[in-house]
Amino acid sequence: MNASDGALAAKPCLVELRHIKKAFGGVHAVDDVSLTLYPGEVVALLGHNGAGKSTLMKMLAGAYPIDSGDILISGQKVQVRSPQDAQRLGIESIYQTLALADNLDAVSNLFLGRELLTRWRTLDDARMDADARKVFLRLNKNFTNVHIPVRRLSGGQRQVVAISRAIYFNAKILIMDEPTAALGPEETAMVANLVRQLKAEGVGIFLISHDLHDVFALSDRLAVMKNGRIVGSYATADVTEDEVLAMIIGGKKPLDKPEFSRPAAS
Amino acid sequence: MVTAAASHKPPAIDWRLALMAGVLVVIALVFNVLSGGIFLSPENLYNIAQQTAVVGIISTVVVLVIVARHIDLSVGSVMGFVGVLIATLQYSAGWSWIEASLAGLAVALAVSVYQGALTAVLGVPSFVVTLGGLMSFRGAAFLVADGKTQPVSDPFFLSLGGGYDGAVGVGATWAIAAVACLALVALRLTKRQSQKRYGAALNPLWLDSALVLVPVALVLAFAASMNAYSIPNKDAPQGVPIPVLIWATVALLLSFIVHRTRFGRYIFAMGGNPEAAALVGIPVRRVTLMLFALLGLLITIAAMVSVARLNAGTNSLGTGMELYVIAAAVIGGTALAGGSGSILGSVLGALIMQSIDSGMLLLDVSIGLRYVIIGQVLIAAVVFDVLYRRLTGDTV
Repeated sequence: MNASDGALAAKPCLVELRHIKKAFGGVHAVDDVSLTLYPGEVVALLGHNGAGKSTLMKMLAGAYPIDSGDILISGQKVQVRSPQDAQRLGIESIYQTLALADNLDAVSNLFLGRELLTRWRTLDDARMDADARKVFLRLNKNFTNVHIPVRRLSGGQRQVVAISRAIYFNAKILIMDEPTAALGPEETAMVANLVRQLKAEGVGIFLISHDLHDVFALSDRLAVMKNGRIVGSYATADVTEDEVLAMIIGGKKPLDKPEFSRPAAS
Repeated sequence: MVTAAASHKPPAIDWRLALMAGVLVVIALVFNVLSGGIFLSPENLYNIAQQTAVVGIISTVVVLVIVARHIDLSVGSVMGFVGVLIATLQYSAGWSWIEASLAGLAVALAVSVYQGALTAVLGVPSFVVTLGGLMSFRGAAFLVADGKTQPVSDPFFLSLGGGYDGAVGVGATWAIAAVACLALVALRLTKRQSQKRYGAALNPLWLDSALVLVPVALVLAFAASMNAYSIPNKDAPQGVPIPVLIWATVALLLSFIVHRTRFGRYIFAMGGNPEAAALVGIPVRRVTLMLFALLGLLITIAAMVSVARLNAGTNSLGTGMELYVIAAAVIGGTALAGGSGSILGSVLGALIMQSIDSGMLLLDVSIGLRYVIIGQVLIAAVVFDVLYRRLTGDTV
């Protein structure tokens, strides 16, 4: 594993995005973005709607192909051409829309696309059921109605199903897109606890959020995007909410703050 | 497992299917009274079962096509095209029925994958693709034999259509019925055992018994009535018609695919939320193409049965069938919006349609009135579907 240069050279970089570009038609949705993520680190991505946060993360998750640029995982250059590629690399995503098939039950949704099979290549429902219950219970003790279509579940339970994918499949890198946008206070606290727990286990987390309170409570570092570019990237403790807002709205960097030094791009 | 005892379990009875079965029974009883006992006679039941098979075979897979948020309006035309081709290759080209049928299968697969690829790869709506197919392949059915009727004569091939020698006889019918009953009992027992092993709540014994005994009784009653029918100038009774056996096999196979394989689960996931299916890494295009290939296979089987039943391939074979097939699926509880439907439902739906149709035929209802009524039955089924989903809170 080749350790990246830069400020945190002691720890190898978990994810390094180098000069990523993506255009839809003539619009540069993501324009030459470089960003890093270290193990056990929570990096918040901020910006207006359409700033390019979700597009950038969808490229890392294999949902969109990149036009140009490189993705390095633990120092190795990798190709992420499909969600399966991302899953093999330990990248899990919790989408804002949760990506649930509403007509299927919670167990089917947890394993969707990665079903456990018997030796006759048929679905191993018994094993999936038993495994799923364990994960759901870890997240929410009251969650037992795992065999009704998920459209009949509450917002919090649906979120549990989406999050359980990341936990069951042992995410190394977790992308959370607005994980608390649709949740009540109790469920928001559950997500916050989970973030801290996963962080302690060394999982690297990209957190897309509009909620500055969440960002300041949970993230170690934040990066602000505007018009497809990174405005700046700072240790969360070094900046104030006002400075962050100024970056989001005006694209203005705070003048006197040390910017997080990115590893030299090759 | 401390927690499992309190766990929610899926309802033991699918009320919707039970209700449809009830509707079918009521329809049968009403027609039986109105026709003075003819409707439930073995001869009439034999004919209904056999006539429903072709629509029923294709309905099973069209359920899956609709579940995946697609539609196929071309099934009748493609079946006509493939059927005429199979008949022509046997009659005019002198091929054996096996060679002719394999050639028909190859053509059906090519047609289905062509239409599937336009839909899955290029994203052309399947409604448009198959509307074009509805006309094109009806034309192709004419071109194959220049519109001439192509008789077939191979005895084995003809038996696939039911008809004079197209049933398995008394002994085989009882044997098949016995196997089916044993399988029903074994399935329920295995289910109880696995529920016990994983600590899930068991159904009360009476309920599980009823869930086994009702289907067993139906199977035995069906076998008995098929064995009670003999064609006047034959000495032995008919037994189960071969097309009905083919239909049952197809329905079992597709139910297996739906409940026990990834392919089946992906079809439902794609219908429930196509965007989510793609995001979690389901190979949506490949699954769609496989689904259309499966459709091609079943269209070929239906074409063989249909040609065998008519003893000939004609260019009008399967005209208008797409409507019956889709109606059977919809009456059977398949939501046109995608994401929900069942194979067993399509079997009941096809039987309900055919029962109403032949019941009215028995009562000498004019053809115009029959169309009017069948159309309204379809609408009633959809209205019921909408109300049922509203009532149970299922908005899809």
